[in-house]
Amino acid sequence: MAVKALYDYDFPSADRAELFGDDQLVYVHWDGNPFFCSAAAFRVPRTMPFGTFVSDVVGPWAASDPDFDPATVGGWRLFDDEIHASPHASLADLGVGHKGLLHFSTVPAA
Amino acid sequence: MKERYSLLTRDLDWEPSYVPREKLYPFTSYEGIKVHDWDGWEDPFRLTVDAYYKYQAEKDKRLYAVLDGFAQSQGHLTLSDASYLNAIKLFIQGVTPLEYAAHRHFAYLARYLEGPAPRFAALCQSVDELRHCQTQIHTISNYNKYYSGFHSWSKMHDRVWYLSVPKSLFDDAMSAGPFEFLISISFSFEYLLTNLLFVPFMSGASFNGDMPTMSFGFSAQSDESRHMTLGLEAIKFLLEQDEDNVPIIQDWIDKWFWRAYRMSALVAAMMDYMLPRPVMSWKEAFELYFEDQMLGGLFPDLEFYGIKPPRHVQQAIAEKDRLSHEVYKILHNFSFAAAFTTSTPTQDHMRWLSEQYPETFDRYYRPVWEKHERIEAAGGRAFVMGLPQLCQVCQIPMAFTEADDPSRISYRRSQFRAETFHTCSDGCQWIFEREPEKYVQAWLPVHQIYQGNCGGPTVPDVLAWYGIQEGDNGEFKGSRDALAWTAWHAEGTTGSSNGVAKEV
Repeated sequence: MAVKALYDYDFPSADRAELFGDDQLVYVHWDGNPFFCSAAAFRVPRTMPFGTFVSDVVGPWAASDPDFDPATVGGWRLFDDEIHASPHASLADLGVGHKGLLHFSTVPAA
Repeated sequence: MKERYSLLTRDLDWEPSYVPREKLYPFTSYEGIKVHDWDGWEDPFRLTVDAYYKYQAEKDKRLYAVLDGFAQSQGHLTLSDASYLNAIKLFIQGVTPLEYAAHRHFAYLARYLEGPAPRFAALCQSVDELRHCQTQIHTISNYNKYYSGFHSWSKMHDRVWYLSVPKSLFDDAMSAGPFEFLISISFSFEYLLTNLLFVPFMSGASFNGDMPTMSFGFSAQSDESRHMTLGLEAIKFLLEQDEDNVPIIQDWIDKWFWRAYRMSALVAAMMDYMLPRPVMSWKEAFELYFEDQMLGGLFPDLEFYGIKPPRHVQQAIAEKDRLSHEVYKILHNFSFAAAFTTSTPTQDHMRWLSEQYPETFDRYYRPVWEKHERIEAAGGRAFVMGLPQLCQVCQIPMAFTEADDPSRISYRRSQFRAETFHTCSDGCQWIFEREPEKYVQAWLPVHQIYQGNCGGPTVPDVLAWYGIQEGDNGEFKGSRDALAWTAWHAEGTTGSSNGVAKEV
């Protein structure tokens, strides 16, 4: 159903991909950790390797929880689908697009 | 009086002679609402302008007498605790600008509704809303002399992340047509939910020693009951005018119940976590004011017209055990970027929460608060360094959980013009998909920061652009307000208590 208006109601999205140049927005949720109220939003280059994204972007955010241990991070999912990412593959290669939602979980070290 | 009322309201109308009626009233048909007889409007308040001003002036006199007395007796020192004022900061930043927005839009309706009686009702409400805005500014400005976070509230309303929640709701309503505005604000917000906002806020004020806020609350509440009557009259009038109006109105009720309910989540956090002396839990208030009074009392009456309870109301009921906890966690995670402070609830407070929420608190929320407690015992304070993912419609961080599973965040996603949009619930997703053209334009604070539109890339840049000053934000314990409060009460034992926060 279209917006009821007295004129042609057609405006571009306020957060469309083109406004972010070579970057894009990516969301990350730490599954099962209620310490974080919600997923986080990041602006990152589409060409950023996944390994760098995890260590330099996700890591500092996750470290807001003092119990965070980078060695336990795994179980990555893009929306509902599991992904097994090489750390060298770029976000674009992995199909993580503008406003994609990634999930990870942590498995405590034995 | 009856004749006088008629002369001073309805008889002021005239038929246009040199412009067509559609040109004089260009906005009352495009939404599809059919009105056959504007005189069928039952005036919910039979007031004339002179009687109205006399009555309001008397109320104002009483309110300003309380304000003067409170200021002169250093009443701010008799509050339950300085942390209580964080709830009042949310009020002046979040609610007072909405009063002004309501004033503006009712003034517009007072020009553009076709019937003289609804125009007069809109005029009275417009004046009421402006008065509420003013009395709130006057009441709360007293606290600005002594406490942080009150100084730039109208600028903050336009800019600060959590205030985009109330702002976007009113922007949405004001950019709709006149009848949708009436159903959104007068009915869905003021009739269905205003008791949940005003009654707990004002009882909370009273319980915590804030007599000025309680007084403006009572002064406003007598107007609110008039506004509620207007909301009810508006919906009954529209439903009675034409059967074709019924599905349009139902759609608006479905949309605006959910939008207004989502915004009231801030009140849930205030009631359960921000009052040093809690009054009643969100859950109890929701059951009393919404489930009993609205679902149990009002909707059976509206069934006569073919109106059903709001779509997604079951999700709201399912959330009542967790809403406040999920929302306060957002405020606690990010209060370094807010114009108020937060604290981990004390053990006493947690006992109260556990009694109020026996099904959820100990299982889902206590462990997180106890973790914060341990971090703070070791000298730390955990904030979340990063920006949250927001819902495209309600603009609240995506912190809400599935209706059937409080441990799983509820994610909904839609595609529109090949772009992904995220919403926090079935309710927000339904609203998005009904009018995606409207919500793709949402000014989401997090995305705006990332686009470089909020003062700069770093946290201090953004805080400066928000107008937040040192002392406004972060942790309450050890904050400027907390230190000043302690110092003033220590001074109080020697007879002097006229401190100013800046000196501490």
